[in-house]
Amino acid sequence: MTGGASKAQDAFQNTVREAALRSARDEPPPDRLWFFRDARWRCLAVSEQGLQAEQGTLEEAEISPVAPMQIEQLDPDQLAVWISAAPEPQRSALALFYLDEFSLREMLALLEIKAGELSELISSGRHQFQAWLDATTPYQGE
Amino acid sequence: MSMFQIRPNYSSLARCAPITEKPGTDRAMRIAIERARRGKKAAPFGQQQAFDAAIAKLVRAIPVDAQVAEWFANESLIPLVKRRWKKILLNPVVIAIALALAVIGGVFAYRVHEHLHDFPGADKARRLLSVASSTRSVILDPLKTDAGALSDLFFLKHRLEHYDIPPEFADFRTLGSRVFDDDEVHGVAQIWVVEKRMQFFLFPAEKNPKDGSVTDFSDWRFVELEGWTGAVQQRNGVCFMAALRGREKDLAPYLEKRKQ
Repeated sequence: MTGGASKAQDAFQNTVREAALRSARDEPPPDRLWFFRDARWRCLAVSEQGLQAEQGTLEEAEISPVAPMQIEQLDPDQLAVWISAAPEPQRSALALFYLDEFSLREMLALLEIKAGELSELISSGRHQFQAWLDATTPYQGE
Repeated sequence: MSMFQIRPNYSSLARCAPITEKPGTDRAMRIAIERARRGKKAAPFGQQQAFDAAIAKLVRAIPVDAQVAEWFANESLIPLVKRRWKKILLNPVVIAIALALAVIGGVFAYRVHEHLHDFPGADKARRLLSVASSTRSVILDPLKTDAGALSDLFFLKHRLEHYDIPPEFADFRTLGSRVFDDDEVHGVAQIWVVEKRMQFFLFPAEKNPKDGSVTDFSDWRFVELEGWTGAVQQRNGVCFMAALRGREKDLAPYLEKRKQ
């Protein structure tokens, strides 16, 4: 989400430190979502520093039946970079959705958006990623 | 929140269908998935699910920094939230439930308490209290004498035996009297006295349904109904009730007078 492992590390470290401080004050984090919510805001704050990518409109493509095979050819870091380059809140939505750890309700609570918006963000993210896949990793069928 | 339930947009929900099925999935989401699987767009939905599964697999393969992984693995670093009793007790839902239970409990306890001190004939006595509350002096035959003197009248005129006024109330001056049959209580003698516009009732005691016997009691027992209180005593198979508008303490001085 931050585009850099060290930045993410700092954000998570600060989140854990904040949780420990709250616990010391006898005000522990209310739920597990608190960690993700806090870490997300810290990551967003960190990512807003330094050079910013220029906003542009990405091409979209229909989901291909061979997309799973295209994705298999990717390096995990390529996906991480692609997601971290997405604009907010799509970046967070895609990250949370593909972590496959949260329910819809939890994602909406974390992102503070409505179900329709989340659906739109994920759907457009899929089509943009497919377009990027088609451009960078065309399927070499047998 | 809207008063009206808005129908969820199932096609929109299906676009963010969970990659793996989880046990706590919302009903709306389950319906959306089911519709997508069986509908016209089953094939694109299948492609979407395969696409998502492939990306999720790749996401799991993204290397995580060892230090970060360690923080998340060591969950005991963060203590679990303790549900504090004070916080639970101050929850409006808990307060509302507690109040409702207290009211139900109070009503139940009142009813139990009310019937705990009941005696045979208490229901008749309460019914006659309602008669007392609705009686106007004009419906009674005017009669100015001592209440104690009416026993002979009841016996000679109405053949009502043992309709005796207890000594505590025998000296009270009467305004009028009547003998009537109620739907549920037969042979009721009603006397209106000057003192605090009190009313006396004499009526047959409740018989034991099993053997037809009557158990007298010489102590005073009380019944209450809609602001009226009656002190009841039972002798020789006849109940006597002194009734007035007020509470038990208003009748107490008359009952204690005899003891002295």
